[in-house]
Amino acid sequence: MTAPAELDLPDVDDQTTPERPWVAIVWNDPINLMSYVTHVLMELFGYPREKAEAMMRDVHYKGRAAVASGTREQMEHDATRLHAKGLWATLQQD
Amino acid sequence: MRFTRRSGRLEARVEPVEARLLSTMASDLLELLGPGEDAGADPLAAMVGLSSGPLHQPDDPALARLLPDAYEDDDEASAEFRRYTEGDLRAGKRARAGQVLASLAPYDEGGRVPLDREQADAWLGLLNDLRLVLGIRLEVTEETDLDPPGDDPQAQALHVYGWLGEVQESLLAQLVRLPPA
Repeated sequence: MTAPAELDLPDVDDQTTPERPWVAIVWNDPINLMSYVTHVLMELFGYPREKAEAMMRDVHYKGRAAVASGTREQMEHDATRLHAKGLWATLQQD
Repeated sequence: MRFTRRSGRLEARVEPVEARLLSTMASDLLELLGPGEDAGADPLAAMVGLSSGPLHQPDDPALARLLPDAYEDDDEASAEFRRYTEGDLRAGKRARAGQVLASLAPYDEGGRVPLDREQADAWLGLLNDLRLVLGIRLEVTEETDLDPPGDDPQAQALHVYGWLGEVQESLLAQLVRLPPA
């Protein structure tokens, strides 16, 4: 006989506020080609070449760049898409 | 190997040695990624949210680079993210390697391999995965000499790494001119 199980309700992250969006960050790495990073940002986010290249240069010279922003769920989705392309990406609240 | 277009069709011009090298590396990547299906997956557990997916970044640094953490300094969130996404990420990388192997199979003596847009994307992704694995193994930096003296024990691997980069650049140069999929 067992006691009735307590429902394990998911933790609600109440730190999330609408004013602070989440961002997907791409980090510099010495392997990915600059042309490839630009190509991926254009393809995944539909950015024009100039915008994608500016982000790529931030990644390369500043070490990282925020490439997208939105809800946490959206940024998790973008992180999976960036990982699928082999970019080193994380997400965080801005 | 280089990519060209004939009558608008993208094709890879592949030497026999290149076809064998790329096929071998694609097979090696499949081995590194491990089985595509989660053999222990329990659909009932998954249905009620008890996913049996992995929780930690792989110990192998090359595999960890292919399957990175999604949160910089939140291990718990990274584990939760990984539990639900790593299986698909592995499966996608396996699928690309499989597509490249299939498109190369009739050309083990080299030739002109025709590639549609989907195949070209698979080649691009596979080439990148191979460079990531090799780059991590070789611990390359932005200063690494890809053409070291012949007595360097890593000379051959560095040449292959450099060659993969040239092949990827050649493919990217052609994709710029193709309409998106």
